[in-house]
Amino acid sequence: MIVPVVRFQKLFGEGLQVRLKEKLDQELMALVIKKHRPALEELYDRYIKLIYGFVIKFTNGNEEKTKEIVQLVFLKLWTTKSSFSPEKGNFVNWLLTVTRNVCVDYVRKDSIHVQNNQQIGMSQSIDIQDPNNDIENGLINSEITKAKNKLSKPQKRLIDLLYWKGYSLTEIAKIENEPIGTIKSRLHQSLKQLKKYLEVGDL
Amino acid sequence: MKIECDNLLSFLTDELEEKEKIAFREHLMNCPECAREYDQMTEAWKSLKWDFEEIAPPDTLKSDVMNFVLEGANENPVRKVKKWSRFFSRQFTPVTSGLFLATLVLAIILFYSNMQLKKELLATDRPVKVETTFSLQPADQTAVNMKTAGAAYILQQGHEKSLVVQIQNLPALQESEVYQVWLLNNGERTNGGTFKPDEAGTGSLTYKLPANDRFNQIGITKEPDPNGTQPRGIKIVGSS
Repeated sequence: MIVPVVRFQKLFGEGLQVRLKEKLDQELMALVIKKHRPALEELYDRYIKLIYGFVIKFTNGNEEKTKEIVQLVFLKLWTTKSSFSPEKGNFVNWLLTVTRNVCVDYVRKDSIHVQNNQQIGMSQSIDIQDPNNDIENGLINSEITKAKNKLSKPQKRLIDLLYWKGYSLTEIAKIENEPIGTIKSRLHQSLKQLKKYLEVGDL
Repeated sequence: MKIECDNLLSFLTDELEEKEKIAFREHLMNCPECAREYDQMTEAWKSLKWDFEEIAPPDTLKSDVMNFVLEGANENPVRKVKKWSRFFSRQFTPVTSGLFLATLVLAIILFYSNMQLKKELLATDRPVKVETTFSLQPADQTAVNMKTAGAAYILQQGHEKSLVVQIQNLPALQESEVYQVWLLNNGERTNGGTFKPDEAGTGSLTYKLPANDRFNQIGITKEPDPNGTQPRGIKIVGSS
């Protein structure tokens, strides 16, 4: 009597897996909200390379911190009350926004971040690893990376501190020892130019 | 340019407090200049997130993440309890909490006994009613000269019930012997109190009945001592 039951469960289980693989991202998220563990695992399988790549850049290659942040990202997906809806735009965009929010919260809670504030001097480089540092090899495959590389050094540094280190504008003003107004107008200029370069890249 | 316009970049980089955020969203709807700038800059800001490469994680990461998620989700209620107990331990030292508990227990006991007392006092104001009367006959009908006889009453006063037994011409007892009243309910016997008669053989007993006590017959036995839970001696009288 046991054998048929097991076989049934096996069939049912496999059927479920196949169906999960066919589901849309937002359908998976709806299941995750209902605490459907296989749906969370399916999301993991789909996007872990993306999330891992993003976080490891944010932590500047620190694998231990990356693991902690990735865990927090999935905990957030698991416990979030505001589910993703297609009106919020592309799911992957939403997922990366959630990921960056967790990254920023993580480094801001970390008191080391505050100490780093004082340690990073004007002269120090900030060691942001760009995906295509070997420009000489001409391996640029991302539009934004290409556009960012066209910015001036101070502009690029500002974007990296702000976006990839999670510093606030006020903190950056302190680090750079410049008035906040200067930082803001530099950001303004940087973003405008980025947009222009992205549009040109599109042509 | 208004003062609010100055918040544009802080809004974009999500550095505003919740209140300021709401205020700026409102401002965006009323300031075409900011709205235009915001649209232009968000596009570039949002595209920054793609400035990285996909990387395959270590194989062990998946189980680490899944375990963390499920444990983390389960841990939350425990953390809440811990938070509360920490809150209380901050409010009370062990000594004060001990004293507090003792006072609480004492208050409950006093309250309860006070309620009982009130109930009894209330009951003594009520009239006493005879609910049931049992006529008691000698158990051994063949003993002609046995004139032992009496009656038992169930009295009701408010919610309180008591049993009163009165018997004449009881045989005299030895030093430690007593008469014991038994309440019978379908063959089950429960104690209804013990008594000793006077020299003339007249015995009397008042026994407070438990609230839900039910019985339909009464028997009285002669017992070697007042400590029995089941009859050991001979039956002297009983209700028919």
